[in-house]
Amino acid sequence: MALADRCRAGAPEAFDELYRTHAPRLFGLACRLVGRPDAEDLLQEVFLAAHRKLEQYRGDSALGTWLFRLATNLCVDHLRSRGTKWARLTDALIDDPVGLAPTTGSVIGAVDRLDLERALTTLPDGCRTVFVLHDVEGFEHHEIGQLLGIADGTSKSQLHKARLRLREALATGRRACP
Amino acid sequence: MTTCEDIRPRLSDLVDGTLDALDRDAIEAHVRTCDQCAGLVRDFDRIRRAAQSLGPIDPPPHVWLEIAGQLHQATPRAPVAPAPRTPVAPAWQWAGLAAALVVITSGAYVFLRLERPAPVRPPAAADGSATGSVQVFADELTAAMTHYEKAIAELEVITKTNNGSLDPTLAATLQQNLLVIDDAIAQSRTAFTHDPTSVPARDSLLEALQRKVSVLQETVALMNEIRKGDQAGAAQVAAGFPKKSS
Repeated sequence: MALADRCRAGAPEAFDELYRTHAPRLFGLACRLVGRPDAEDLLQEVFLAAHRKLEQYRGDSALGTWLFRLATNLCVDHLRSRGTKWARLTDALIDDPVGLAPTTGSVIGAVDRLDLERALTTLPDGCRTVFVLHDVEGFEHHEIGQLLGIADGTSKSQLHKARLRLREALATGRRACP
Repeated sequence: MTTCEDIRPRLSDLVDGTLDALDRDAIEAHVRTCDQCAGLVRDFDRIRRAAQSLGPIDPPPHVWLEIAGQLHQATPRAPVAPAPRTPVAPAWQWAGLAAALVVITSGAYVFLRLERPAPVRPPAAADGSATGSVQVFADELTAAMTHYEKAIAELEVITKTNNGSLDPTLAATLQQNLLVIDDAIAQSRTAFTHDPTSVPARDSLLEALQRKVSVLQETVALMNEIRKGDQAGAAQVAAGFPKKSS
């Protein structure tokens, strides 16, 4: 029997298996989107919501995809609820001049994962979300547009701004730690 | 003539390989002659590659235990009006909770032992042999016991780590309840060891293990409510103890 069916049937270990299979990816997403302190509470929300809504899962997509969408929606709702001016932020970033002053050549060298995780925390919520969904999770712009309710072009410009800001943050970190 | 200002917004598309051939050729031609844009392309590509290497992150164990505890509480209850949060509950209220726990947890446990549903017979082996039946029976029990004992071990770590968050009277009450259940587990285990084919012994052992998981899950949920300063939630968790043994 499929895992979703076993969960719906109330098999004792099924929901445990669902959690152990999918929690690390969803926790990684939550940590990067809302930050570690809130990610633990959000992961709980994700699985409690999944438990309530499993009856609605029809198997049109993989169970992991269904869970990922649920987690993304909850993370975005959380960002909105904690006071982020989501719409205004996404609009403003399109024309927001960021990035290093014109520089010759590469400025960051090889990128360490921990440095990148740290630099991610410096991004505004909107462009960090697009960057994580595109560059970390591998979504296309039209999929991100559907998930976040923004135009494909907005997703592209957010990604570009995110990369510029990350480049600046990483270059600053390198200059600070020779 | 194509300028850097025209090109830069599209350098991310170049790195992602999403440009059509005409645009890609034009932008690549510019990048070959412009150090600034070439540097941006190299840095974007490094960032993109590093991002792809960011993997899953294991959540701390208490997250699952809190989820399991909340799922366990999900049995329908009468709605409780939300109460204002107060960080510290008066001692007399905790004493009341403790007294209630002694009565309801012990009572529910005794009740369950008396009212246990008719036992299920051990499954027969494919060849119908008694040896096969016993083996299947033993395997199922071992799997169930492993599940419960693992859960108990994880829950005990959490409750011991956070024991200081509980009122001493309440902690003592919970400890007393756990000792009663541990005694039942030991007795059931002894009975089952003497007669591994005994369905009542098996049911009694599994029921006692399940009961311990329930009490520990409730304890974790209670600690969680206390940590959040939710007195009403803590009282609701405590009130739910007798209903969560199934």
